[in-house]
Amino acid sequence: MSPPRLTGTLRSFSTVSKKEAFSGQLYDLKTKRLKRRELFAREGLTWKKIYHFCSEHQDKAQQQAASQQLKSLLLAAKDIVGNEDGQEAIESAAVFLFETFHNKDHVGTEETRAIKQMFGPFPSSAAEASCACVARLLAPLGDSRVEDFIQALGSRHDPQRGSAFGRNIAFSYECYTLHPLEDLPCSGVHEEDTSLDF
Amino acid sequence: MACALVPLDELQVTEPGPAGKAHALPALHPDRKEERCFLPYRSPPESGSPAEVEEFLEHAKFITEDLEWLLALPHDKFWCQVVFDESLQRCLDSYLHHAPRGLDLAAAASSPAVVDTQRAVHRAVFLAFLRMATHKESKENFITPAVFGEIIYENFLFDIPKILDLCVLFGKGNSQLLHKMIDNIFTQQPSYYIDLDETVPTVLQVFDTILDKCGLYCEGATAMEPMKLNSHKQPTAMTMSQQDLADLVLYLCDSTTTIHAFLDIFPAGCSSFHSHGFLGRLTSFYETAVPDLEKALRKRNFDDKRVQEDLWRRLSHSCREIVEMAHLLLHHTCLQPILEGGENMQTFAEELLLLFTSFLPEKRFLSDYDEQFPIADDISLLQQALPVLDETRTSYLLQGVQSAWDSVGRRSRHRGAAGGGGAGGAASASSPG
Repeated sequence: MSPPRLTGTLRSFSTVSKKEAFSGQLYDLKTKRLKRRELFAREGLTWKKIYHFCSEHQDKAQQQAASQQLKSLLLAAKDIVGNEDGQEAIESAAVFLFETFHNKDHVGTEETRAIKQMFGPFPSSAAEASCACVARLLAPLGDSRVEDFIQALGSRHDPQRGSAFGRNIAFSYECYTLHPLEDLPCSGVHEEDTSLDF
Repeated sequence: MACALVPLDELQVTEPGPAGKAHALPALHPDRKEERCFLPYRSPPESGSPAEVEEFLEHAKFITEDLEWLLALPHDKFWCQVVFDESLQRCLDSYLHHAPRGLDLAAAASSPAVVDTQRAVHRAVFLAFLRMATHKESKENFITPAVFGEIIYENFLFDIPKILDLCVLFGKGNSQLLHKMIDNIFTQQPSYYIDLDETVPTVLQVFDTILDKCGLYCEGATAMEPMKLNSHKQPTAMTMSQQDLADLVLYLCDSTTTIHAFLDIFPAGCSSFHSHGFLGRLTSFYETAVPDLEKALRKRNFDDKRVQEDLWRRLSHSCREIVEMAHLLLHHTCLQPILEGGENMQTFAEELLLLFTSFLPEKRFLSDYDEQFPIADDISLLQQALPVLDETRTSYLLQGVQSAWDSVGRRSRHRGAAGGGGAGGAASASSPG
């Protein structure tokens, strides 16, 4: 709980702040994750495009192997996203996993956090399985080709990022702290009759 | 998207409608807002349990990402989001409410991951407010100043409590930027001066409440009514619960730091406080409450001595903030105009002398003030600016200062060495007992 604050009092007792409570929905982590998945599903890369990318320019045997890996990736995505979600949600989750693991050889902390942020708690075996699937899928394809594909269509490539407001502003994290005391309180607190001579 | 040299408030854009047919609409329109669902901010967990820490990290990461997304939006889309997205306003508002201040206890005990994540949110929130306080981002991206003033005021994007929060949260290291922001807000929307004026009585009420909680408040300060028979039952700083005493000191510490930060960053606000007789109320509060609280902190038996020492430091800090506030008010409302040499120098000098004279009965305050900001120095400045100053009055004043030192049983470290500056903080320089 926040300690008592002057501005809290001013908000409650003065007439200069917005009085009516916000009317909209109060979002929590669960709702946020759902919204995030919705937004992700609308972004550039789709399951169809991944399927096409992994299958094109390959011979039949390679295509079959790729198809098998894609199926496994979908299964892992299903384990992560949950059974009650539809095919669209599962494919979108598989796209997310593909983007997450396309240049990774193991499930690290960053990837775990990213998946959890998107889907909430998930079985780690599903994350490991999807990481392995993506690695096997992309092994026959060149690294640069994969990178180009992701760069062109992936949601994590944000063309606006470089021009974000405030990127050149020198921000200081310094904050107000208690004034240092010349005479530490321990002496002042306990010795009532001491008379300090300045 | 945006046409060159047309302010956002006059700009029209063409967008596909629900049926796919393109239609024109104002650039600043609720339909152009994105459904982003900003989360409200929660402060770092105090207990530090792994689950709570993990939840905080996840929560904060969402907020940072969303705010970074917001900052990367083009000018027109940014303003649509800011004006029409209630979840964004709630997110920013909740940060101002709940973000730990530098003075808060819990701030020191966090893990590196929590600290880093908190810092990322802190920066993103500041930049969001900075962008909201900027009506002209570039030659092409701007809002008509008067309309900007209306937008920020009517939508409560800024209000006085928010401005005070911004000062205490970000002012220490970003004072110049914050000064520019607040100056622009007040310049483009002078109604904020009226709001500030309306806020000061509530601020004064805060100090009265503290006195009241300590059983020290008398209506009108000079009330001579007989005390009610049951009045002794009212808790005092000595008898209230330890938690109440701690809350009171924390409240005082937060209040004094916040007001001081605001006045320091935005000196133009001093006149509103001054016009409500803030200085007089502050000094009498100091004189009445400080010795009482000091006594309680010294004499009461605390279960945890660290709490006692922490509260003592906070009280000392509050004393220093009050003294510095008084100095800021005197400086900006009287001394500065005299030093600038305007037409009404004599009037300002008269007011300054009157204010100093009004301090004379507040002996504890006067000696603590003189410790940090020697009054003799200001008198000397006055005498240089106005050689015709009545020497009898100034001598009387300086004798009064000396008498204040004598009555609190201390000797000024400035006597014979004017201008040394009091580094120790008010309460630290006081004699405990």
